[in-house]
Amino acid sequence: MANEGMEQHEDDGGLGRLLRERLPRHPAPPVLRAAVLEALMPGRPRQPWWALWMPPAFSAVATALIMLLYLAPSLPTAPGADPVQFVTRAVLAEHARNVFWGETRADVVLAILPRAMEESGVALSWVFTGDEEIRLINAKPTYVEGRRGIELAYQDVAGHTVTYIIVPGGSVTLPERGRVQIDRWRPVVKRENGFSLIMWRQQGLLCVMASDLVSDEDLARFKQYFVKVRSSTEPYAVY
Amino acid sequence: MADDEFRQQALQHLDALHNLAVYLTRNGSEAEDLVQETYVRAMRFSHRFQPGTHLRAWLFQILRNTFLTFYRLRERESALSEDGVPEGDAPMFHDAPGRDSESAGVHMDLERALSKLPEEFKTPLLLAEVEGLALEDVARIMDCPVGTVKSRIFRAKERLRAHLKDYK
Repeated sequence: MANEGMEQHEDDGGLGRLLRERLPRHPAPPVLRAAVLEALMPGRPRQPWWALWMPPAFSAVATALIMLLYLAPSLPTAPGADPVQFVTRAVLAEHARNVFWGETRADVVLAILPRAMEESGVALSWVFTGDEEIRLINAKPTYVEGRRGIELAYQDVAGHTVTYIIVPGGSVTLPERGRVQIDRWRPVVKRENGFSLIMWRQQGLLCVMASDLVSDEDLARFKQYFVKVRSSTEPYAVY
Repeated sequence: MADDEFRQQALQHLDALHNLAVYLTRNGSEAEDLVQETYVRAMRFSHRFQPGTHLRAWLFQILRNTFLTFYRLRERESALSEDGVPEGDAPMFHDAPGRDSESAGVHMDLERALSKLPEEFKTPLLLAEVEGLALEDVARIMDCPVGTVKSRIFRAKERLRAHLKDYK
């Protein structure tokens, strides 16, 4: 037990060493230290409460900045000012309106075409008016992203609506990505928000066809419609 | 010595002063009061301190005198044992080094045995053996000749040894 250890320190030096090594020391508790400090230095400026938060706050901000710099390249970026994307969305909005509220004026469409061309600033030397699979049901002037143009609406035998919009192309450049060889043309084919789009430039005009034909089988059919329209329609800008 | 320098140096001995105060008072809050009073007095009489002399010893001297003035009276009022030595409270274990049973037993026995020593034996023993002060400094603190200090330390060890044997 403890006293067995004591016997080894019978001599004076041993007892002194025992006291130095084994006697517990009682350091001043922090409360006492603070009280003595206050008593010794009453005029000592105290740290304001916010000063206590400064180091961790700066540390947190610095960490956040470093993380932001590190992660910024991998963060999703906004689409930016991509004119193709803007046109795409505008065309899809027009197509949606056609699907839900578009009028079928197949019997008079040829009669209203000249007026639509006149008001749109886009003339059609040739126009595909339809066959046994798909037919032209409407034509009207339209605005897409501030561009005045013409909008043709087709409907196939299954009831699918195809919207064909022609507007001045301006400086809009179609990307190489998404281009697909269809017959002798290489338009951009893309799917967006549950719709299919085929985009191409022709005679300085931007031409976009939109439909809800999105499955592989329907998309093949949509491409056939594109070939029919593309080969039989000749638009040009009036001014 | 400039006041600021004096304060800084005085603060360095806080732990040692508190340690002695604990063994003298055997009461945590009284020990803290004693230390605070010691520093207040030290500041009040700092002009009496002679630069170049042992500040640590000077502070110990103030602490002991303060203890004798205020706390010993209270101790005398408490119950005395048959041999005239006050019965100590339970030893305090704040920062006892080592936690094995044998080590803890030694600590307990040492503290208990030390608590049975009269102050005039206990203080020189602690100052010389634990705090490592020179006998001349201890003599100045105790306000007695060096020979008396030696004698008290010797007798303190004798009593301590006897108390420790009681626990066999």
